[in-house]
Amino acid sequence: MKGIKKLLRRWETFLVLFLVLEFVIFGSANPKFLRPASIMTSIVNYISVCIIALFVTLVMITGGIDIQAASIIGLTSIIEGVLWSDAGMNIWLAVVVALIAAAACGALSGFFVAYCGVQPMVVTLGGSFLYSGLALLVSGMSATPAYQGISGFPAKVGKTFVDFRFLGKGELFGIPMQIIVYVALILLCAWVLHRTKYGERLYLIGVNQQAAEYSGINTRLVIMSTYILSAVSAALAGTLLTSNMNSAKYNHGSGYTLAIITAVVLGGTLNTGGKGSILGTVLASLIICILRYGLPLCFGVSTQNLDLPVGIILVLVVLGREIAGRHMIAKLMRRLKRNPAA
Amino acid sequence: MSQPIDAGARLSVRSITKAFGSNVVLKGIDMDVQPGSVVALIGGNGAGKSTLVKIIMGIYTADSGEIYMEGKPCRLGKPAASLAAGIYLVPQEPMLFPNMTVEQNILMGIDENPISLRRRLNDLLGHLGWKLDLTRKAATLSIAEQQLVELLRGLMRDARLLILDEPTSSLTFNEVDSLFKIVRDLRAKGIGIIYITHRLTEVFDIADEVLIMRDGVITLSGPVKQFTREMLVAGLLPPDAQLRSAKAASHPVDYANTEPVLVVDKLTGYGFKDVSFKVYPGEILGLAGVVGAGRTELISTIFGRDKVLGGKVYLDGKDVTGHKTSQILREGINFVPEDRHYHGLFKIRSISSNTTSALLGTTEIGSVNMNRRKQNAIAQKYVDDFRTKIVSLEDLIGSLSGGNQQKVVIARALSTKPKVVILDEPTRGIDAAARSDVYRIIEQLKNAGVAVLMVSSDMEEVVELADRAITVYQGRINAEFLHEEITQDALTAASFGIVPGKGARQ
Amino acid sequence: MSSLRNLLHARWMSSFVFLVLLFLITGLADPNFLTYTNVVNCFNTATMYTLLAIGIAFVIMTGEIDVSIGATLGITAAMTGLIAQQGGSIGRMLVVCVAVGAAVGLVNGVGVAFFGVPSLIFTLGTNGVIRGFIYIVTDGRTVENFGGDIAVYGNKVLFAEITLYYAIAVVLVAVAHIVLTRTKKGKYFIAVGDNLDGANLVGISVLRVKLLAYVLCGIFAGIAGYVFASKYRQVMTVAGNGYEMTAIAACVLGGVSLSGGLGNMVGAAIGAVIMSSISRLLVFIGLPSDFNNTITGVMLIIIVVVDALTQRRSIEMTRRKRLLSRTAGTAAEGGKR
Repeated sequence: MKGIKKLLRRWETFLVLFLVLEFVIFGSANPKFLRPASIMTSIVNYISVCIIALFVTLVMITGGIDIQAASIIGLTSIIEGVLWSDAGMNIWLAVVVALIAAAACGALSGFFVAYCGVQPMVVTLGGSFLYSGLALLVSGMSATPAYQGISGFPAKVGKTFVDFRFLGKGELFGIPMQIIVYVALILLCAWVLHRTKYGERLYLIGVNQQAAEYSGINTRLVIMSTYILSAVSAALAGTLLTSNMNSAKYNHGSGYTLAIITAVVLGGTLNTGGKGSILGTVLASLIICILRYGLPLCFGVSTQNLDLPVGIILVLVVLGREIAGRHMIAKLMRRLKRNPAA
Repeated sequence: MSQPIDAGARLSVRSITKAFGSNVVLKGIDMDVQPGSVVALIGGNGAGKSTLVKIIMGIYTADSGEIYMEGKPCRLGKPAASLAAGIYLVPQEPMLFPNMTVEQNILMGIDENPISLRRRLNDLLGHLGWKLDLTRKAATLSIAEQQLVELLRGLMRDARLLILDEPTSSLTFNEVDSLFKIVRDLRAKGIGIIYITHRLTEVFDIADEVLIMRDGVITLSGPVKQFTREMLVAGLLPPDAQLRSAKAASHPVDYANTEPVLVVDKLTGYGFKDVSFKVYPGEILGLAGVVGAGRTELISTIFGRDKVLGGKVYLDGKDVTGHKTSQILREGINFVPEDRHYHGLFKIRSISSNTTSALLGTTEIGSVNMNRRKQNAIAQKYVDDFRTKIVSLEDLIGSLSGGNQQKVVIARALSTKPKVVILDEPTRGIDAAARSDVYRIIEQLKNAGVAVLMVSSDMEEVVELADRAITVYQGRINAEFLHEEITQDALTAASFGIVPGKGARQ
Repeated sequence: MSSLRNLLHARWMSSFVFLVLLFLITGLADPNFLTYTNVVNCFNTATMYTLLAIGIAFVIMTGEIDVSIGATLGITAAMTGLIAQQGGSIGRMLVVCVAVGAAVGLVNGVGVAFFGVPSLIFTLGTNGVIRGFIYIVTDGRTVENFGGDIAVYGNKVLFAEITLYYAIAVVLVAVAHIVLTRTKKGKYFIAVGDNLDGANLVGISVLRVKLLAYVLCGIFAGIAGYVFASKYRQVMTVAGNGYEMTAIAACVLGGVSLSGGLGNMVGAAIGAVIMSSISRLLVFIGLPSDFNNTITGVMLIIIVVVDALTQRRSIEMTRRKRLLSRTAGTAAEGGKR
């Protein structure tokens, strides 16, 4: 009984119910909705946001915010393209170089946040300009015009995608590779955050950085590391996108920033830090994916106009949570008053 | 029940009650402040003094009771209303606008034409004879100067009732003197003043009337002349106080045959200078002194939180001067900070997490993965040992009472099995029952051979527990007392710079 | 004399010096840049960002943020275009822009100030909602082919090559600046951002101040939307996307601290000029416009890092000085006692 009550009080339970509700409504409106392949496609279409949101959750749990990750998608993509097509590098080597470059970008911003005490919002705002600008510059080094995007990545044998393209287009047991990568990252992230000592440190820093310092935690290093992780995740997302679309372009992922933050916040992560879960972020990402897939399919909402429902849900949810939170506290207070022993 | 309202009184408070959740803080307070008089409001931590004045100022709303200003009932409840009624609170921590100038700070929020306002301010400054650069940024002011600004704010509003909440707590000796001059000056001008303090000497220096609060009730009140120091102390102490006055018969420390575990040699840092002392295993060394004497700066520098400017710290003969906190923890020192909320608690984390946070640098709760089983076992052990009242280890620490929170923070400090434990005000803001539990824990530590360095401004605490005591005065150690020599009077005198035997300090 | 010193110490002054340096460096690279026309054009093109920046500066000064202004600009621009297509008057357009902007601001203000939702999250949500409304209002089509008065005024030069709109923007900056620095209530914005509890203690209604800040921010974004429509006479559904970031960057460049309580309108306006001039300056320096974002990003990061470090240093220095003075005085004071 107590277990159920506890479960009901959890934010994740609400998200699951919301997700189920989506399936019920969309499924009854249009049976086509329930085709597994389409559902998977809906996730694949939004995979960059889903992946990056996982790692931005870590950043936000320490009390920071990362609005530069989206610009690193494009930077990674174009680095891979230019290295491969114009410098003739092996594509996998190019991917490794791009990942390292992204890590360096994350480290730079993370350093300013953690060691110089600049507000994370401002640093990553600057970072989003800087890294998207760098992407354009890298693009300029290519023989291919920037707007076109570099394409023709290896390789396709017959009808199946192999090599680099397998990553974004291939399937294993009928499941798109991108989904497999996503699931692997979910497991990795959940393990890191909820099972390791590193994860425990993230929470403690987010709750009270001073107290964490007094507990001997190197808070600055840990904070910086979260920005590196989120940048690397953005690089992975950029690689998947490049492989999937067969196109390396500097502006891939531009405009994802707000979507990423929305997913994390809707997932229940406190923007002041110290609270949040990977499960919550995953559920929130799925809710948004399904919404973006179901509304056009079942109710003929224009695919261009999907910001409205997502925005409304975000506003209602945060307002509801705030009001419910106050109500709960008031109720708790009343109960404590009646029964001082409690 | 309540006394009738005295129409001549500046402020009359009748039957005020207030509870936060289950915690009843005020249990029916009556109080009168006459024009041109200073009412000292004294009481220990958690007695309800600050809550009472915050209600008068409109920051909190009372659950029941009335407030009259000059005989007229006031409907308070927000600061703007109290300000309009002529009340001004100078908070314990001045709440200035750091990025604004002194002048902007003083005049902010006053409804008046700016030219006449500025003239009035200049007149007031001239009248008071204070020299204050009005164009300075508030962020550059010292605490004493900030308090002057707060006072000016109140005076510019023609406040007829000023509330000073522990105004001397972060002032130096000279600054206290000049503050008293100002208070006397204001009293002469007919302003009613509520003066909150926990220093008895100040009561006799400055107050006309005294009001003692304990656990939300007034235990004693009347003109200061009627009381002696001892009578005030009796009013402050709980009824079972005689238990505490009997000194615990502790194991004496064999200084001759023991090597000190912590040696501090001519240590200089920000806020203290040339400090030397030793702590022996199985000893409780009391470190007394007034707030602002440099005690907290000294010990947090030893703990690696601030820069060492000179001197050495040895732990078991090993030089640990200027090491980082994480190193110091490994080397065997741990710390219970003074400000539990700011430096100690992870409010929205579980009791387990809070207990073991200092073990993250070790392998005791896992190498890479968290070993929740071990974590809970460690937390449970301390909960049992310390009789911490909890429902579940998974509960958030924010849901515990102050005393139980403090026990968890102490458990964290012991979890690393330190050779030296530094306790900064270990019983601040906790109730009597938890206090005696904390004392028991400290005694146990001593008996287990741990060296305890206990910082406290509660002199009775030092008298009761310490094997040896040193006092810090203006950043230096000015006196040392052996077990038998430790008395409240001697400690208090030394904390204020008067060292017995030497007369005035050189 | 002291007012001159104040002027030199003002936070916006360093932004102004920075702007002048930018112009001079560009002039060194290509002397052709330093003509009256070019410099004035830098200011003229900053009209929209200036409006957005001073609007959001109200909010930032109180310690909050608003990322919905780009969308607000988008929807008011679209509505302006639609009214123009029907031959409506400019007065009507302006009323609609101001009303819509104020309404958005009110919603944001209630959510943030009254319900206490973190401002980034709440305005993120309203951003999505407003973007959605743009599609509904415009049917997802680009609003274009409108003319009439609004087209005439779009690039109308008032005098000395200064456009009418920029002149109006300058007047608005001046008014906002005077209100903030000279009036009693105006100072409340900074006070709330500087020390929330302190503001409450001196009787300032924090709720009302924040609400007003959001409403003003929305109104300025609405006016910026009108300017957008008038200038470009073509409003796509994604109009204003990302403008919020540029406006925030302009504020930061102009010395408005994102933690609130610091900065002023003149700084924000200068920041807007810097932000919108960069692409033009790059042309003269001989770098391709591709460098635009890179330079912006580098500039932004350098400025905020330097600012944070100097602030931290000055706080640390005061603290240390205070602590050292305690021990320094011991011997002398002790002697007196």
